Amino acid sequence: MNLLAFNLPIVVLLPFIAAAAAAYSAKFNRLAAAWVSGIATIISLALLIPAAAAIFGGETIIQNWNWLHQAGLQFAFRLDGLAMLFSFLILIIGLLVIIYARWYLAAKDSMGRFFAYLMMFMGSMLGIVMSENLIQLVVFWELTSITSFLLISYWQHRKDAREGARMALAITGAGGLALLGGVILLGHIVGSYQLSDVLASGDLIRNHELYLPTLILILLAVFTKSAQFPFHFWLPHAMAAPTPVSAYLHSATMVKAGIFLLARFFPALSGTDAWMWLVGGAGMATLLIGAYTALFKHDLKGLLAYSTISHLGLITLLFGFSSQFATVAAIFHIINHATFKASLFMVAGIIDHETGSRDMRKLNGLLKYMPHTAALAIIASLAMAGVPLLNGFLSKEMFFAEAVSFSQGNSFAWIIPVLVTIAGVFSVAYSLRFVHDVFFNGEPIDLPRTPHEPPRFMKIPVDLLVIVCLAVGILPMYTVAPILDIAVTASLQSTPPEYSLALWHGVNLPLIMSAIALGVGALVYFRRKPLIANYERHEHINAKQYFQKILAAVIRFSEWLSARFDKGSLQNAAAWTLFATLVISAYGFISFNSPLLGDRTLLPMEPVSMIAAAVIIVASILTLAWHRQRLQSLIVIGVVGLITSLVFVKFSAPDLALTQLSVEVVTIVLLLLALYFLPQTTPKETGMSRLGRDALLAIASGIGVFLFTMMVLSRDFSSISEYFLANSVPGGGGTNVVNVILVDFRGFDTLGEIIVLALAGLGIYAMLQGLHINPHSRFRINADAHPVILQTFSRLMLPLMLLVAVFIFLRGHNLPGGGFIAGLIASVALIVVYLSNGIEWTQSRLRVDMHMVIGFGLLIATTTGLAAMLVGYPFLTSAFSHIHWPVVGDFELASAIAFDLGVFLVVVGSSVISLVQLGQLSHKPENPEGV
Amino acid sequence: MPFAFELLLSALVLVGAVLTLIGSLGLVKLPDFYMRLHGPTKATTLGGGAILLVSVLYFSQKSGDVSLHEILITLFLFITAPVGAHLMAKAALHLKTKKVKRTGDYRGE
Repeated sequence: MNLLAFNLPIVVLLPFIAAAAAAYSAKFNRLAAAWVSGIATIISLALLIPAAAAIFGGETIIQNWNWLHQAGLQFAFRLDGLAMLFSFLILIIGLLVIIYARWYLAAKDSMGRFFAYLMMFMGSMLGIVMSENLIQLVVFWELTSITSFLLISYWQHRKDAREGARMALAITGAGGLALLGGVILLGHIVGSYQLSDVLASGDLIRNHELYLPTLILILLAVFTKSAQFPFHFWLPHAMAAPTPVSAYLHSATMVKAGIFLLARFFPALSGTDAWMWLVGGAGMATLLIGAYTALFKHDLKGLLAYSTISHLGLITLLFGFSSQFATVAAIFHIINHATFKASLFMVAGIIDHETGSRDMRKLNGLLKYMPHTAALAIIASLAMAGVPLLNGFLSKEMFFAEAVSFSQGNSFAWIIPVLVTIAGVFSVAYSLRFVHDVFFNGEPIDLPRTPHEPPRFMKIPVDLLVIVCLAVGILPMYTVAPILDIAVTASLQSTPPEYSLALWHGVNLPLIMSAIALGVGALVYFRRKPLIANYERHEHINAKQYFQKILAAVIRFSEWLSARFDKGSLQNAAAWTLFATLVISAYGFISFNSPLLGDRTLLPMEPVSMIAAAVIIVASILTLAWHRQRLQSLIVIGVVGLITSLVFVKFSAPDLALTQLSVEVVTIVLLLLALYFLPQTTPKETGMSRLGRDALLAIASGIGVFLFTMMVLSRDFSSISEYFLANSVPGGGGTNVVNVILVDFRGFDTLGEIIVLALAGLGIYAMLQGLHINPHSRFRINADAHPVILQTFSRLMLPLMLLVAVFIFLRGHNLPGGGFIAGLIASVALIVVYLSNGIEWTQSRLRVDMHMVIGFGLLIATTTGLAAMLVGYPFLTSAFSHIHWPVVGDFELASAIAFDLGVFLVVVGSSVISLVQLGQLSHKPENPEGV
Repeated sequence: MPFAFELLLSALVLVGAVLTLIGSLGLVKLPDFYMRLHGPTKATTLGGGAILLVSVLYFSQKSGDVSLHEILITLFLFITAPVGAHLMAKAALHLKTKKVKRTGDYRGE
């Protein structure tokens, strides 16, 4: 098989697998996590390389699989020049960050967690840049928000890390929602969610009446992700992350995702006034604010954060110019910024690591302690400042040239070159500060540690990045030109204009602007003291405060809203739900034009059914009447359940009857355990008005359900059951239609249900863990908690009950039974043992961790489904054959039985875990001091 | 099916039904908890056992194969009923449930 037919999803998904592997391997050896991550990254890179020839030849590789194609969702990947450039940035800088982080993390930091998050993030980023389907892109976009949240909050014990992570998640998450909206509008306009179609219909999109909302929604996503004004404030707070994270997220990847969208959608959305004003305006504001603020930050990473904001603004502004040359410059600057900013972050991390401080007022004269690091930092900073012979100079020159050429159309636009030069001035000034303050400028002031050079491997990633800065800066044509060319072609979706990467273009306006920026920048730096003093005298807008105020207001509003409605009471919530349902169905009844009842002759009434119905009615009324005597009402509820299962028997649904019966048993045990903690009777709580309201709701709902049932029952209708009956044996290989539906026809539903069940079980476990409640009982507890007769017989019963469970399980495919019922029976068996012998006794013998049981159940069920996919059938297709076993006789072996085993395990695990946890509530914790 | 066999089955069904009825009547009529406990646990269990026996015999004869489900059910019934009765009696003693004079307390003798 041709590798180029399926390598892209592997490249994207491999980091996710590596994340799990890294987390797991770290249990044995903390460095193994780094090795796993590094090797996975290299494999991903290696899988990309075979595609390079085609991409450099100008092709676009699209690998497409149908997913939910009716909803426009495809599992589709795209590799073109732009995606290739970003993938290389993500993977190569990712690899360097992995090497760096392995030396950076302290012994007490969990390597497994770090690398698992990092790899998940890497996979999400690759997913963004390689998605062909836009909805899939949104999914990966959200994943980057979540994984970056995890990365930023890696040091969970630090308040600033948690707050910064929450802020980043709130802002980028909101942007993700906006992106979803924008993408859906795009899909609506174009009629397809495939990127190729969207990129080809630029004119259609720009002339559509929904263009402006689409643009604004997508730009919201871009601006939040790429920290553009006015959403830029989350980025400095995200600096609470470990430095390798900052080096990765805030140089090459996360914040570039927004920029990537600009480049990606450039042919589809750009070229209008709205685009120019919105993108250009935000870019210009961000460029200036970032450059200005960076100079005044005393924290190394703070300076870099604002400088990142400023450079992102620069790139955004370039896209705002909407010209083809500007796009060349923008993409060139993306590459350059990623290289020098990643190396600068790593240098900041080295300094922090080796001196214990990031405060530039303390860090001085580090040159003689760490000359190698200093050399790297100086080169990278000069690249950031835009000094000739370094890569930053080239793209900055192009940027200045674009600013100049843009200004020629308009008499007011002369302001643009002036403003960008001012930004350039500050950029030179803060770059100088990074170099001069830290490495020169006297002696260090009371640092926590005596500085020295870092371990060799911490410098190697920086070495490599700095070599790239130099190589690109000196020999652009031989280094960056080919990949830049294909990236620009892919971004523009057309042949790029003739541009020159030469160092020397003669003395022109951009060169003069550069010279001014360098000269005035140096001047500003050396006059910085009064400037900084002046800056600190003034109040500055604290965006964090505003953010928190808005957040608090939103929370207050939601609380107010829910206080109006359900008042935190379950009864009120139920009343509102019923009320809403009534209103909707009343509308349905009113707008229903045909006669209410159909003309089908009703079956005659017969005495047994009538008695059953009467018993149900009486039991329901008794439940109501006795609801304050909890035990009695529980017993009569049980009557309702039993009659219901008899009704199932009458209508030939033995499966349902069995399920109902076992659910009934488990429910009763559950409620009895809960009753243990409640008073035996409840006081009268509700007044007449409340009773009246509830009675009204109840009667109206009853009448509604009755009418609806009568409407359905009194007319002939063809249901889907005929299909199931006809296809159960040929299609699913089982004669028990109910079970075949559960494990085959509607297997996906069942999978979803058992996942919900598993989550519920785990949720109950987590909620009740560590909780201790004293039983609410007026009676003294009998000393003989586990009577010996009960103990003995329950142990005797256990194998018998498990035998029944196995029997019910095995015959499930053809006769009433199946995994769900068998699971319930097995859990009842286990719970009986728990109840009669005590939790300690049972747990010391039943050493199976129910978490593992749940996990294995889900794993088996999912693997069965995937196995079908592997051999080319849709997910969860069941295969079956009959084999002849000696003794047992003819035995049917269906792959569905494995799926059913998964169901069985999940049911057992979830029921036992929640019931045991509930039973454990009254137990005293083993170590009293932990209370 | 031989007539004698049918007769035996019918008799067993009747015996089962009567015992179950007696158990239910006892549950309603007997004066205190301790006596009432006998109805459903002794008589009804026995009645149920008789009916299950009929089922075993009938289906074994009909299919020519030994029908084992009912034996398992009988086993369950005969284990759970006395254990249940024992637990209920224990609970009642613990809670000092009301009793009539004729119900003696022989603990500690």
